[in-house]
Amino acid sequence: MSVQPSPSLQAQENHRIRLDQLKAFPENQRLKKIRQDILDSGYHLCTQKASLMTDYMKRNDPQPKWLEPLRRVHYGLYGNSMKKAAKGMPQRTWQIAANNLLNRFYQRCQPFSPSENQLCFAKAFRHILDNMELKVYDQELIVGNPSSHRVGAPIHPELGGLLMLPEIDRLDTRPNNPIPIDAAQRRELKEEIFPFWFNRSVLAFAPLYTKNPELFSQTTEGCYFILTQFAGISHVTPDYPRVLRMGFNGIKEKIRHHLDRMPDTRGNRATEERRAFYEAALITAEAAIAYGKRWSRHLTEQAAAEKNPERGAELAALADMFRRIPAEPAATFYEAVQSLFITHVMVHGENFQHGVSFGRVDQYLYPYYIKDLETGILTTEKALEILGCFIAKAGELIPLFFDRATEFFSGLSSASGLTLGGCLPDGSDGVNELSYLFLHAYDQVRLRQPNFHVRVHRDTPAPFLTLCADVLKKGGGLPAFFNDEQVATALVNSGFQEDDAADYSIVGCVEWGVPGKSFPAAGAVFINLPMALHLALHNGKFGTKAFGPPTGTALDFQTMDDIIGGFTTQLRHMLAIAAEGNDAIEKAHARHRPTPFLSTLVEGCIERGIEVNNGGAIYGTVGCQGVGLADVADSLSAMDELVFRKKRLSLAEMLGAVDSNYEGREDIRQLIANKTSKYGINRVEADRWARIVSGIYTRAVFQHKSPRGGPYLGGFWSMTTHQGFGVRTPALPSGRKAGETLANGISSVNGRDRLGPTAAMASAAKIDSGLIGNGCALNMKINPDQIQGEEGSRLLRWLIRGYFDMGGCQVQFNIIDPAILIDAREHPEKYRDLVVRVSGYSAYFNDLTDAMKDELIDRTLHSSRSLCGC
Amino acid sequence: MTSVDTATIFDIQRFSIHDGPGIRTTVFFKGCTMNCRWCQNPESIRPGKEMAVYVDRCIGCGMCGHVCPTGAIPADRPGRIDWRICDSCGLCAETCPAEALVLVGRTITADDLLDDCLADRSFYNVSGGGVTLSGGEPVMQSDFLRGFLPLLREEHVSVLLETAGNYAYSKIDALLPMLDHIYYDFKLPGPEEYRTMTGGDRELILENLAALKKGTVPVTVRMPVLPGINTAPEQIARIGRTLRSIGIHEMQLLPYNPFWESKLPRLQTEKRPLMLSDKNIDYRHIADALEQIGIAAQFPARHPGTQDAL
Repeated sequence: MSVQPSPSLQAQENHRIRLDQLKAFPENQRLKKIRQDILDSGYHLCTQKASLMTDYMKRNDPQPKWLEPLRRVHYGLYGNSMKKAAKGMPQRTWQIAANNLLNRFYQRCQPFSPSENQLCFAKAFRHILDNMELKVYDQELIVGNPSSHRVGAPIHPELGGLLMLPEIDRLDTRPNNPIPIDAAQRRELKEEIFPFWFNRSVLAFAPLYTKNPELFSQTTEGCYFILTQFAGISHVTPDYPRVLRMGFNGIKEKIRHHLDRMPDTRGNRATEERRAFYEAALITAEAAIAYGKRWSRHLTEQAAAEKNPERGAELAALADMFRRIPAEPAATFYEAVQSLFITHVMVHGENFQHGVSFGRVDQYLYPYYIKDLETGILTTEKALEILGCFIAKAGELIPLFFDRATEFFSGLSSASGLTLGGCLPDGSDGVNELSYLFLHAYDQVRLRQPNFHVRVHRDTPAPFLTLCADVLKKGGGLPAFFNDEQVATALVNSGFQEDDAADYSIVGCVEWGVPGKSFPAAGAVFINLPMALHLALHNGKFGTKAFGPPTGTALDFQTMDDIIGGFTTQLRHMLAIAAEGNDAIEKAHARHRPTPFLSTLVEGCIERGIEVNNGGAIYGTVGCQGVGLADVADSLSAMDELVFRKKRLSLAEMLGAVDSNYEGREDIRQLIANKTSKYGINRVEADRWARIVSGIYTRAVFQHKSPRGGPYLGGFWSMTTHQGFGVRTPALPSGRKAGETLANGISSVNGRDRLGPTAAMASAAKIDSGLIGNGCALNMKINPDQIQGEEGSRLLRWLIRGYFDMGGCQVQFNIIDPAILIDAREHPEKYRDLVVRVSGYSAYFNDLTDAMKDELIDRTLHSSRSLCGC
Repeated sequence: MTSVDTATIFDIQRFSIHDGPGIRTTVFFKGCTMNCRWCQNPESIRPGKEMAVYVDRCIGCGMCGHVCPTGAIPADRPGRIDWRICDSCGLCAETCPAEALVLVGRTITADDLLDDCLADRSFYNVSGGGVTLSGGEPVMQSDFLRGFLPLLREEHVSVLLETAGNYAYSKIDALLPMLDHIYYDFKLPGPEEYRTMTGGDRELILENLAALKKGTVPVTVRMPVLPGINTAPEQIARIGRTLRSIGIHEMQLLPYNPFWESKLPRLQTEKRPLMLSDKNIDYRHIADALEQIGIAAQFPARHPGTQDAL
């Protein structure tokens, strides 16, 4: 072994001392205050961006004025049919056709070319940044308010905001996730904003890009699949390090460099569009610089008005900082964090708030941190405070979902992910002091967001995992853990370059993407897998309605292979429709809602001169989640065992019981429940079906190609779609009755993991992860009694390590006492800050639907039973 | 010496974290050489398979009555067994859809048991865990274990034996080379108490313990705390002195758990609830008393050698 040079030894020693200090830091009063303010502030609808954008667009309206009378009548009818649809009366075919016809007509009348459209949205973005209200909250060291409220839910009428139309009157009184809205907002939305956008939003245009006019009403039924991207694509880890490294001045230069080298464009449409993209991107980069300057002026005023001299100095320091950032590269750690966050705010001035993630923060912020420590302008304690302020900021945005979406995506998480640890390009371990610091800072803030994700590999240091376990044990479900080896392999199999795959970070909940290079549309599609099985067993029909191709009925199936064949056919058919629908939405985004600002932060766009929705990113994939994997596996296992192997029932008898929802056939339901192998108890008989189904699914998904050039990538995570789908899914051969919730992620059916966590994990490790390019979630419920003290942290570490050694991809834990959840359901007021892990993300318990609350309690009870050791 | 190819077990419990170091899989062997009044697993005592009835699970389908070849299940009372007639054939349990009738005990081959024991190997590796043999009295099936334990050894799986020591020494002697640790129960002060309350032979148990203590396999002595049965100061003192006299310096106290009483109504058993509670037991006090005699007593029980394998 070579002798380390002494400075390095000294650095190591300093590192050790600082880590020890961290443990002893007292509660930070500033963070405590900020946390409390955010919890106390409540939620509010934010119409600021919608209002500014509408204001700008109205003045630059490309639709001719003479259309106005027609639009008015159309809007009235449209509003009525939306309201009816919200009450469960779907639009009639002729209504859909008429609506599409009119929208096509408007589109024809719209004189804007794609190039003009890009420039128009770039200018609208500039208008938003120029006029957004700037707010500095008490005590905060990181500023930037993505909405006009402390905790705000911005609405995006140019995307899918019109879906809120039927609910605007009762937004503040609806049973799930009520959101306060004031009278002025209500009036503006109903009279100004919605009437302007209803026929020129992504929601309006998307149906024009498919030949199947009823496709989108199928989507909103939520039986077979859910398409989400009306609401926006987002779900991306922007290249924030680019801003820290080169500033927007540098980005501007980069754009100009390409623009200056553009050939003469006249007459060549493709080249013309590239030039327009560069011009649009340039406008947004300049807008970003101007936004920084505005902040500087605002902070200077605030500093001057501040009575408390200490706070005044803090504000003056921030004002000074904003004289440079985000135009200039970040010079210090503090500047880097502030520049990062203000860019995050600007991204949300353009994009919908879901899954916009921070990437490998401990890696790209570390050089600033260590440099400032060495030069003495930063202390570890100060760094912790800055990071705490940053983390709290991420909790200020919540998504806005309409009622049905709330059923599928309960919990109000806008799912900003943040990734720690993991391998470096040379294969060594990347955990550094900042990785620890981030966790300590989170421990003090403990709000629902951001989602903390930890990359784990062979050399992840035990003390770091112990800290993760210590943080996790206090509840809240964070962080979640990812296995570097498996994730990188899945990404390589999905077409990613090896070095990019190794640099993955988590987008949103659990989706793995390459920071700064992917535009992964990770939350695009959710597929109800058990419905594919139902269709397979019922000749393609659901009730009396034919949905899929005919694949036979009970009497036609002689072997399990026949059933699997039918399932595969139905699944492919379902995927084809879902992909067609999603492609249409993406084409609508590409043509009608370009995001030039985001494009400056995704590698490939400037380099190729292509806007990000049009396929500029290096990787332009689409995420497509399978929901209810365990229900399908258990159903197949039950049929295999009872019908084909033990021959205790005929398939017709079994399906007869299933189709009667087991009415009068409790014996058969019990037989299935008790006498067949289940996924989650590590029996090969059931686990092999989970493996087969996961393989069929991910391969079938991979066949589809996005209009942005990349493949569709399969994932297994569900947010709360397993609830929404469950309500609509009939009884299954797994013994599950109609309407019951489906299994989430790659977890077993609730309560069936009777052999405890190791067996459940061993089952999950058998899932075919080779092509899971878009993430999977294994939810483990652990009773707090099991993991007390140091031994408890060690136990958690063992479970993570053991699972990953078996080939597991991802695991997350909900550590919560069922008694607390039950009490919280009864007394929500006592538990405003109770954070629980839902699926791929954490949420305040109070924000969940009642059904989801009950499910969590049920799951937690099961876990305490299965782990009681009796 | 012949070995036996199959064992009779009544449970395999994954993720055992209180039966030795790390994460373990515990195999419960059926059959015991003793019959303690407070036995935590009253279903483990008979060596053969036996029926258990969970009345609350019965859905009244009556299929059990139809399949019972001996007529031990009356047609008007499905799910109830006439123990005088039942021969534990298990047909009813196989048929019962609701798991109201359960056959306790199954025959398993060494290969199948090995598969089950290796399923959590990743977790043993990272935690320093392994397999725990429990029961019942696993040593009763020593002929099987002589063939089985070498398979675990080949796979580098660590093995811990939980035993009460009431058998001829030769039974365990043959297993010693394949064991990594022994948890040895010592329950009561005097031979008379041992005989009447457990059916065990105290002298034999002590002799075996003394012999094991001289060997190379680490032995941890454990005493179940039985409120009112072995908790009087003079009883504790006598147990302590006895153990001290054969060179024991450390032991563990196992807290009393009345959970076993809820199993009784399901089984054909003579056992009656003892209604004991450790509410008034001061474990610290017992440990202090043992300390006086020169024995360091740990509670709650914790494996002394628990290592951090990471």
